[in-house]
Amino acid sequence: MISGSTSSISGRFNLVIDAQKTVVVTGIGVVSPYGIGLSCLQAGMLAGQCCLAPATEMYPGFQGTVAPVRALPALHDGHHYSRSDRLAMVAARDAVVDIAGSCSTFRESGIVMASTVAGLTEIDPEISRGPAAWYRHGGLSRAASYSVSRVAASVEEYLGLQGPGCAVSVACASGTTAVVLAANMLLDEAAPMVLAGGSDALCPFTLSGFNSLQALDADACRPFDQSRKGLNLGEGAAVLVLETLAHATRRGARIMAVLRGWAMTNDAFHPTAPQKNGIGLASCIQRSLEMAECSIEEVGYVNAHGTGTPLNDIAETHAYERAFHGRSRPIPVSSTKSYFGHCLGAAGALEAAITIMAMRAGVLFPTLRLTDPIESDQVDWLRGELRRQPLPVAMSVSAGFGGSNAALVFGSYRA
Amino acid sequence: MNTTLPVLTGIGSVTPYGPLAGLISAEPLEPSAITAWTTPELRRAFLVEPFRPASIVPGLKTRRLDRLSAWALVAASLALHDAGIDLGQMDRSRIAVFFATGFGCVELTEAFYQSAATYGWAETDPITFPETLSNAPASHVALFHDLRGPNVTVSNKSFAAESALLQAASLMRHGQADMAIVLAGDTLTQAVYEWYETAHLLSPACFSNEPVPSTGGFIPSEGVVAMVLEPAGRLAARSYVALGAGRWAAGGDARAGVRQLLDGDLPDFTICAGNGAPCLPNPLTCSYRDLVGEDTTIFPAQPVAAGMGEAGALLHLLLALSKRPGHGEALLLGTSAHGGFAALRLELF
Repeated sequence: MISGSTSSISGRFNLVIDAQKTVVVTGIGVVSPYGIGLSCLQAGMLAGQCCLAPATEMYPGFQGTVAPVRALPALHDGHHYSRSDRLAMVAARDAVVDIAGSCSTFRESGIVMASTVAGLTEIDPEISRGPAAWYRHGGLSRAASYSVSRVAASVEEYLGLQGPGCAVSVACASGTTAVVLAANMLLDEAAPMVLAGGSDALCPFTLSGFNSLQALDADACRPFDQSRKGLNLGEGAAVLVLETLAHATRRGARIMAVLRGWAMTNDAFHPTAPQKNGIGLASCIQRSLEMAECSIEEVGYVNAHGTGTPLNDIAETHAYERAFHGRSRPIPVSSTKSYFGHCLGAAGALEAAITIMAMRAGVLFPTLRLTDPIESDQVDWLRGELRRQPLPVAMSVSAGFGGSNAALVFGSYRA
Repeated sequence: MNTTLPVLTGIGSVTPYGPLAGLISAEPLEPSAITAWTTPELRRAFLVEPFRPASIVPGLKTRRLDRLSAWALVAASLALHDAGIDLGQMDRSRIAVFFATGFGCVELTEAFYQSAATYGWAETDPITFPETLSNAPASHVALFHDLRGPNVTVSNKSFAAESALLQAASLMRHGQADMAIVLAGDTLTQAVYEWYETAHLLSPACFSNEPVPSTGGFIPSEGVVAMVLEPAGRLAARSYVALGAGRWAAGGDARAGVRQLLDGDLPDFTICAGNGAPCLPNPLTCSYRDLVGEDTTIFPAQPVAAGMGEAGALLHLLLALSKRPGHGEALLLGTSAHGGFAALRLELF
């Protein structure tokens, strides 16, 4: 065990830190509707800028509101990449820009990438009229990027990574789940570093699917508002570089946050609807806090799943009331999906990045357009102005179709 | 036996051998002619014969599900039955489900595209859409059995099943689950088959009634295999194998990686789980013996499992166990034409 006497993780000041079993975040790459990079995302969110726009601008014939990434670089290396692949590759490159050339073990890094859309962006309905003909007329290489595994493999090949890797698809909890699996891989010493994230692109398939479920708000979404009507879809990618504290310290890495706890649960309730009483998500939050050895009083902020659908937001409110029951003051909660929509498999990773960004900047981002919040005396709905305060411990939670829940607890780190 | 290792205590499968609990006959199969869609001439594959899931698992409702979800439900139920587990006596919030797949619910994804082509994007089916998600099979397993632990669906360009096994074992090792059901599988559809054919990846045996050759492409296969992992301390009536250390990598020196894992302790048995093998040999596939020594008994990759691609490792393992190899150390070794490897040490009971 390595003594942590000269380092401190918020909430663990008096504990000896096992640096081999402490997972830290040392890099973050982001592609969001604000552009490429965490600073771009931060500037946009600090300014309260909303990226939502009418869907018809990008997808003629589709009603509703979306948040597209407008300037995604082309990647010309002879391969056909899906849009989800490209988002992932650019975010991963952004995450490792300071690491790739300076870390001798970088190529041994593992990767866990989440996606739900993956290569669906490359398929069109004509395939159903005759797959062979569609392949012969240019569809063959496009269809090769169909599998979710291609998102992880594209990043692997692009960065020359040779460690263990996989893709994760757990609906809207995918991005958070990817971080959980990556953290476990580090505990297993499966790789010196693991890139973990999510990537999903907008496409007609998902727009149509959520539209068929009547889950879309035609206007800009209003998470946790009494008048909420549904979600807006966005697109983007985020990649976190995870490594053990021991490895990060050895190579002199900049430690952005400590991943103190994580957990996954399932509602086992309904294929699409969350459990209204929020038990499954509450259990997930409680387990992650137990792992983090963190009390409910210590958590300064929760970046919520907060889709803006009537069912999700009430279930989530009940989950917070249950998980933080007995806390001396309401738990501050916001949904940053109000800025650039729901990025599906990328959402959890993007929100993990935003949570770390909030901790580092000492800023609690409000939910936009939240004027008449769901009544709860145990939740402090962040709305209106930015709130500035030290934030040593914060959480990011996700939930998805199929009942999956995932939660991450981050702590700040002082060398 | 190392009592900290997760132990495989139950197996269920829906494969071209049929829906079965426990070990199977493992006799070599010949592919059968495709009749589910119109083919210009003879086209063959290893196919799951249609069956009524409720006849295997009473009360199961699968009418609106992708076949992959239906098979996962049947395979998981058979595996739990084979393990002799009474879920009523278990803390179901501590049971994880890991599902490995290459293509996910591709059957209903094609149906969704079909409805978009016919009626337009504005008139697609709200019941079909959620069932197209890759994690639908795993979530249906959780829903049917009220399993409230971690529920994860993974994919990997070569080693999805191996990575699911390793990650489920990891979850148990780190106290994040007490038990896990690991599943791996895929379905074969017209769009998938014709992609393979257009890409010239298929074996000549797909186009004639000739016996399966050992080279020259692969024969697509389908099915789902489910395995129950329990901690060794809570052994059920049966235990097939204990899972030891493992590793997988996308690239690099596979030979060095496997040797590092073995640490000089060569296995008695090596179970080959080559993705696409034996029809897409690569240097590592050809050198299994060189890698693991002369004294090991090699279970070669089987076409019916290799045809399941990245989700085939559990079927490879099932086929090897079904040959009742005896006691000893074993290595489940996955290789791929893409490079990389996946290796998992096992202890056979």
